[in-house]
Amino acid sequence: MNNNHIENTKIRVTDLTFSYRGRRILNGMNENFEEFAVTAIVGPSGVGKSTLLMTLNRLWENIPRAQLSGRVEMKLGGRLMDIHDSSISPSHLRKLVGTVFQKPNPLPMSIFRNVAFPFKLSGEKDKKLIDRKVEEALRKAYLWDEVKDRLNHSAFALSGGQQQRLCIARSLVLEPEVLLLDEPTSSLDGKAAEVIEELILHLRERTTILAVSHYLDQVKRIADRVVRFSEEKEIM
Amino acid sequence: MKRPIEKLVTGFSWLCTIMLLGAVFSITGFLFAKGYSSLDTRLIFGDTGILDALLLKKQVFNGLFPAIAGTLVLVVMSVAWAIPVGIATGIYLAEYAGDRVRGLFNLFFDILAGIPSIVIGLFGFAFSVFLHKNVSKAIQPCLLISSIALAFLVLPYLIRTTQVALDGLPEDTRLGALALGATKMQNIFYVLLPKSLSGIMSGVILAIGRCAEDTAVIMLTGVVATAGIPGSLLSSYEALPFYIYYISSQYTTPEELLTGYGASIILLAMCVVLFSAAFFIKKRLTYMAFYRA
Amino acid sequence: MRAVKETAVERALLLSTIVSGSITLIIFGFMLFMALPLLGGGKIFQIFVGSWSPGDGSYGILPMTVGTLAISFLSVTISFPMSIGCSSFIGVLGPKRSGRYLKRIVQMMTGIPTVIYGFVGIFLLVPIVRGLASGGSGMSVITAALMLSVLISPTMVLFFNDSFERVPASYLDAADGLGASNVQKLVYVVLPNAKKGIIIGLILAFGRALGDTLVALMIAGNSTQIPGSVFDSARALTAHIALVIAADYESLEFKSIFACGMVLYLFATAIVIGVRYFAFTDRETR
Repeated sequence: MNNNHIENTKIRVTDLTFSYRGRRILNGMNENFEEFAVTAIVGPSGVGKSTLLMTLNRLWENIPRAQLSGRVEMKLGGRLMDIHDSSISPSHLRKLVGTVFQKPNPLPMSIFRNVAFPFKLSGEKDKKLIDRKVEEALRKAYLWDEVKDRLNHSAFALSGGQQQRLCIARSLVLEPEVLLLDEPTSSLDGKAAEVIEELILHLRERTTILAVSHYLDQVKRIADRVVRFSEEKEIM
Repeated sequence: MKRPIEKLVTGFSWLCTIMLLGAVFSITGFLFAKGYSSLDTRLIFGDTGILDALLLKKQVFNGLFPAIAGTLVLVVMSVAWAIPVGIATGIYLAEYAGDRVRGLFNLFFDILAGIPSIVIGLFGFAFSVFLHKNVSKAIQPCLLISSIALAFLVLPYLIRTTQVALDGLPEDTRLGALALGATKMQNIFYVLLPKSLSGIMSGVILAIGRCAEDTAVIMLTGVVATAGIPGSLLSSYEALPFYIYYISSQYTTPEELLTGYGASIILLAMCVVLFSAAFFIKKRLTYMAFYRA
Repeated sequence: MRAVKETAVERALLLSTIVSGSITLIIFGFMLFMALPLLGGGKIFQIFVGSWSPGDGSYGILPMTVGTLAISFLSVTISFPMSIGCSSFIGVLGPKRSGRYLKRIVQMMTGIPTVIYGFVGIFLLVPIVRGLASGGSGMSVITAALMLSVLISPTMVLFFNDSFERVPASYLDAADGLGASNVQKLVYVVLPNAKKGIIIGLILAFGRALGDTLVALMIAGNSTQIPGSVFDSARALTAHIALVIAADYESLEFKSIFACGMVLYLFATAIVIGVRYFAFTDRETR
């Protein structure tokens, strides 16, 4: 499966090389990621799985002494384009490409304001629209029923699994085209992880999902495709 | 079972502790023993009615009110200069500056922090002379000059605490909002600054404390023994620490000296509360404690 | 529109940085500019090593430089061992609870205004020294140094204590595992590993003593002679500035205090460079 599947390709990575403090982490990587599918990224730790995600949302640019070469193209608005193109700003890209981190990272504010935060960033003032979208996102993240009566409580009052779903809801609120999940269940217990897996399968219909995972049984349950990182391929 | 040398070391450390505690309790105890009898409203308002004094209807001649008011106005003005510039500089150094720029400016601010306060006062004085000669005859050492010089004095505090607070934020806090599409500025103002508020606050409190207790800067830049409530930015003024210094050498009657003790107790209480609050908010402030003599 | 705002904010922040950074240079520039008439024409030597007798047109600041150094060295000599003792008490040797209380008290001590040390010095310490030295005013190098050592000890104690706490717990566990006593832990594990912090704290404390004005001004006696013993009166550079400031703006006497300012500025710079030398070179022994 390669360039001939271009019409199904959401993200294409060409000759991607990434180094941090002079150490090469990705070395000339080539890969296509399919649209509306869950691609699991697996491999031993320290081979650059999370790094790959950082290159797709350009978050790597905020890390001192990181360097990148190669091309990353993404189909945005139906057209495959270079994400480093000057016509697209990093913050715009990150609104289209949602990211959920390994550890839940709610902001020090209420549940509602956490999910509404992306609207604050984009300067959206329409209160009705925000209310509706927040509810929608919380429903999508299977969190609404649990928090609807305490939207004004601090996000830190939630359990770990709830916090992680809150972070997913926060990413979903802008209806991103791509969702990057960096071991989203590794800090959660089995039950909370199960809910999130179900959520991922559900989201696949409208979103392209890349998920880094350590658990092979989890990969079997959620992934349409697997990209395997191995030591010799990625580390010189 | 302890060897004699171990007993000696332990004994030495107990001795040092007792000596230091002895010193601090002698100092505070002496002040209170001598000065507690002066602590009443007459100490502050003299023979003037409290309400009349507070509403500035009547001048207070034989109380500390003008000195306390002068110190308050001075502190507020100095901090008002220093806070915006200091925090802005701290943000720039932590979030925008490259390694080399940051290194250079950190050196500058370390030096600024190390310059004895009297030298900053001397600069303020020379600056006012310069302005007097070249800009306007109306300018001489005054409240405005003092507050600017004091702002210079506390600027490194604010810069450092802001910078350290921002630098100390963990990576996932930093990236969280960026991943949601926040711009650099949005990330700083919506996430990073609120998260580092306690660190910045402790710097602000320390700065207030320093402005309140400093004597060396103001004695060269406009404080005087009697001036009443400061009338304008260009007038001279009274301040609590200078009053204490002045009384210690110029007192003529035991009653006057007694107000010196009273003033010392008030200033001591103010500063100890402020510094303890700063330490309470932020545990590791030791690097700040060394800023300035 | 948003990009414009971003750039404007960044520019404003940069401007603040440049303004505050330039203060450091402007202060030195002013000192140099004002002292210049005095430094030209071969008189520079006279200023820095000459004696102070304005009556004879001699404005040397050597006695004050010596006064400053004497008071500072003496106060650090007194306070350094005391601070090491206290921080050992807080960190290792004392009972845990009393250590915590002591630390709280020491933190509060850092808030005592310098003018209070001077004030209490005049009315409490000076009479005592006068009695001990049998005669004289009681205002002397040792009086100021004693008070100053109380002033700088708290900061030194806190600084040392911080570097003690940075010694990795695993080292202490290892020592505990081998059955080390508290004193052995202090001497073989804590102190050697906190060496860098101790040196930096010492330098900073010295800098703070050099820069003090009020204590020296109020209780060192302010005589313009080079002190011959610790019981002699002396004048610090800082106090000299405070005392001469009232002179006529155009006089050489007035200009000479800017030379004092320059010397103090250079001392401060040397202190900062010294600290950075120790802080940034990795000479920590394991």
